Amino acid sequence: MQTGDKFVHTFEVTPLIYERFIEAYADRNPLHVDAEYAKARGFKDIVMFGNILNGFVSYFVGECLPMKNVYILSQSIKFAQPVYMHDTLEFNAEVTDYIEVVKSYGFKFYFKNQAGVKVAKGEIQIGLII
Amino acid sequence: MNYDKILEELNVIFISVLDNDDIKINGNTTAADYEEWDSLNNILLVVAIEKHFKVKITSADFQSWKNVGEMAKTIETRLNQ
Repeated sequence: MQTGDKFVHTFEVTPLIYERFIEAYADRNPLHVDAEYAKARGFKDIVMFGNILNGFVSYFVGECLPMKNVYILSQSIKFAQPVYMHDTLEFNAEVTDYIEVVKSYGFKFYFKNQAGVKVAKGEIQIGLII
Repeated sequence: MNYDKILEELNVIFISVLDNDDIKINGNTTAADYEEWDSLNNILLVVAIEKHFKVKITSADFQSWKNVGEMAKTIETRLNQ
C-alpha cells in the first residue's frame, strides 16, 4: 500500500444496523426515532445516526485494507448532509501519506449517497502492529 | 527556520496532539514531563511533525532523541538540508 492508492466500498444503511445501533447505545433522540419530529424540522424522514458511518470506517480499516495488522490512531469526520434509512453510500478513501518511522498511514475519505451527494468526509490515521 | 521557531511550532503540535493547553515545552522536555505523552501519542506526535514540517524522520533519529531539544535539532537539520 502506498500514497495515492484508492479504495472504494459500498455500504447500505439497513434497518438491522439502525436497530442494533439503538440497542447498543440507547440514543433515542427524536431526530433519529420520530419521523414526525424530523419532518417538522425539514428532513424527509428520521435521520440516521452519524456514527453509523464511523462504523463503516471501522469496517474499511479492519476488513478492506490489504493487511490485517492495523489499528486506528485517530479519526475525524464531518457530516455534510443527512443520511436516511436504505441509503446506499459509496465510501471512497485515498492513502495520503505513510510515516515510515512509526509505520502509520494517513487517509482522506468521503461518503457519497446514491444521488452522488457527498454526505460526509474525514481523515483516518492508522498504525501497523509489528 | 531556526531552533527557537521550531520549538514554538512544536509547542502548538504538542498542545494539539496531547490535548493539553497548558503544555509549554523547552529543549529539556521529555515524555516524563507530561502524563499524556504515552506511546500512542508518541506515534501521533511523529506523524504530526512529519506532516507539519514536511520532513522525513528516520528510525535512527527517533531512537536517538532524549528530549524535545534533540527532536527540534533533527527537524532544524532536515529543514536546512
